[in-house]
Amino acid sequence: MRIGIIGLGLMGQVHLAAWRAAGAEVVALYDQNTAQTERLAREHNAKVCSLPELLELADVVDICLPTPQHLEFTLLAAKAGKHVVCEKPMALTLEDATTMLETCQKAGVRLFIAHVVRFFEQYQTAAASIARGEIGALGTMRLKRAGYQPAKEGDNWFLDETRSGGVPLDLMVHDFDVANWFAGLAGAGLVTRVFARSSRSLHPDAKGDVVLATLRFASGAIAHLEGAWAYPKGVFRTGFDVAGTDGVIEWRSDDANSVQSFLPPVAQSIASVGLPVLSGGADPYHLQIAHVKHALETNSPFLVTPEDALTALKVGLAVRESLGSNLVVNL
Amino acid sequence: MKTLRIGILSTAHVHADGFADILQRTPNIEILGFSESLVTRAEAFSSSTKLKHFATHAALMAERPEAVIICSETSLHLPLTRLAARGGAHILCEKPIATTLEDALQMQEVCQAAGVQFMTAYPMRFDSSLISLKARLAQKDLGRVLAIIGINHAENPMHRRAWFANKTLAGGGAVMDHTVHLTDLYRWLLETEVSRVQAEVSNPFFPDLEIDSAGFATLILGTGETRVPASIDCSWSRPVGIYPRWGHLKLEVILEDGAFEIDAFAGKLSLYSSRAPRIANWLGWGSDATAKMLGAFLDAVRSDTPVPITWQDGYEGLRVALACYDSSSTGQNIKLME
Repeated sequence: MRIGIIGLGLMGQVHLAAWRAAGAEVVALYDQNTAQTERLAREHNAKVCSLPELLELADVVDICLPTPQHLEFTLLAAKAGKHVVCEKPMALTLEDATTMLETCQKAGVRLFIAHVVRFFEQYQTAAASIARGEIGALGTMRLKRAGYQPAKEGDNWFLDETRSGGVPLDLMVHDFDVANWFAGLAGAGLVTRVFARSSRSLHPDAKGDVVLATLRFASGAIAHLEGAWAYPKGVFRTGFDVAGTDGVIEWRSDDANSVQSFLPPVAQSIASVGLPVLSGGADPYHLQIAHVKHALETNSPFLVTPEDALTALKVGLAVRESLGSNLVVNL
Repeated sequence: MKTLRIGILSTAHVHADGFADILQRTPNIEILGFSESLVTRAEAFSSSTKLKHFATHAALMAERPEAVIICSETSLHLPLTRLAARGGAHILCEKPIATTLEDALQMQEVCQAAGVQFMTAYPMRFDSSLISLKARLAQKDLGRVLAIIGINHAENPMHRRAWFANKTLAGGGAVMDHTVHLTDLYRWLLETEVSRVQAEVSNPFFPDLEIDSAGFATLILGTGETRVPASIDCSWSRPVGIYPRWGHLKLEVILEDGAFEIDAFAGKLSLYSSRAPRIANWLGWGSDATAKMLGAFLDAVRSDTPVPITWQDGYEGLRVALACYDSSSTGQNIKLME
């Protein structure tokens, strides 16, 4: 399987390593930062390409670009008959996301949206327990994803909400997908009502942003989600609490991991964009890409359907709408 | 020091035992006893506390207590407040102070008319972790408060006292039970009032009951430039008898230049035993907030100074809890302050 990666920023490099770990051949790289791309190409025995060249060489196109470019590059790849892996959020509008989905369907290629949180073992273990019925009928969910404001060098597009969708679409979309996933496994149905408040919706000049979102599901189950680009640099906290009629599942990234380090203080380099802290087990980014590869090789389903990604986006857009109107949004 | 004469009116509330225990360890007070009309509750309380039982509240009031603790079902707070106030006793009353705003207003009236003080039992203001947080926030050196996230989820208390899940007696379920503590802490920490309430209230946990068992409230604290979004989880979401403790009180304050997380009951041992009340138990230590609250009430009564937590504090908490129900049923944002 020959892979072409478009965009070799932080996520592009994570995907590159994951493809290599999965034993795939990364043949083509395309990025505007030519010096860095040349270095990566040398290290991984790939070729720095023009876009037409990449579309020619690759069987699978992996798009790790800022969100506004997802539509354009997905359509190019699909029309060239290539399978598409695309970073989350799928797009900034339902129209764009629907066009991506339909174009891939028509072209007969598969579309994989990288909702990587589904590949974190904590979340998979919780999902399996929910699916086994161990917590009973779903009552409440709390989902946390709180880190620091992205400080990407050069064009920090994350902070431009018209391009990234801000905290709801860039960060919380992970947990909107998790919420839908868990609710689906527990038979709680779809989100019917959304309400949200945020620091920035009250104070546009606030230094960081915290978004508090409440979801109601068809069954009457309710969820509280918190997303933050607000903590001091380097902090990234995640967690969930899923309660049902017969039990509750709790997990916090603050809890002890299998490796704890106690070292003399040294100046640390902090990633420009926060990623969840990985604990003991397998790397979820690798699991995700290996699952894409397996799904293609065996023509089997992928854990996250494009429709799932679209549904997560729909909730994210409703949260943004609620932040704008200060009103409940019915779905 | 002057000895104070104290009575406990009703043992309906799960906190009555705790109050009795603290009172018995408090010097310079005379515990007259407790009034309880339900025989089963009276027998249980007598046997656990050895305190004198009065079959009617009037019989206890005939002993002329100077102060009483009202631990009845919430809907009976008004008649007991009336009885105590007319008897000249200062009042420490369980939360929420009433099931309706009308009742709460009447309670204020009867206390004012009788010249007695009314204190709302919000013990968490006396918790050392929250006191240190308040002091730290008062330094005002970390920029704007961006948001507060609070968790006061718990077991359904009806398994200890059935009335907690009775709409008439409790006024509602989880939202009535557990919205007011965090609401009060937010008002106290930021020295502000709640201006807006939006909530989702639901009953996913106990479908056979006619009350709410889950609630997520989103408040706005303050107005204008000082507005802070804040959430409250008041759900009865801890599985009864399975979870190692009743639940939690946690809150997270995120500011522009730092964040704090409080877990007020973090001090705990884990006990796994076939002879303990549960298989897995958290045995807590380090929080004596209720004793400090009771001490503050007794001090105020003794020195004839204002109680530290007032009727108004109880009333504001109740307004928020009631607004949660309104908001969830209408989908509207409820305005409590311009």
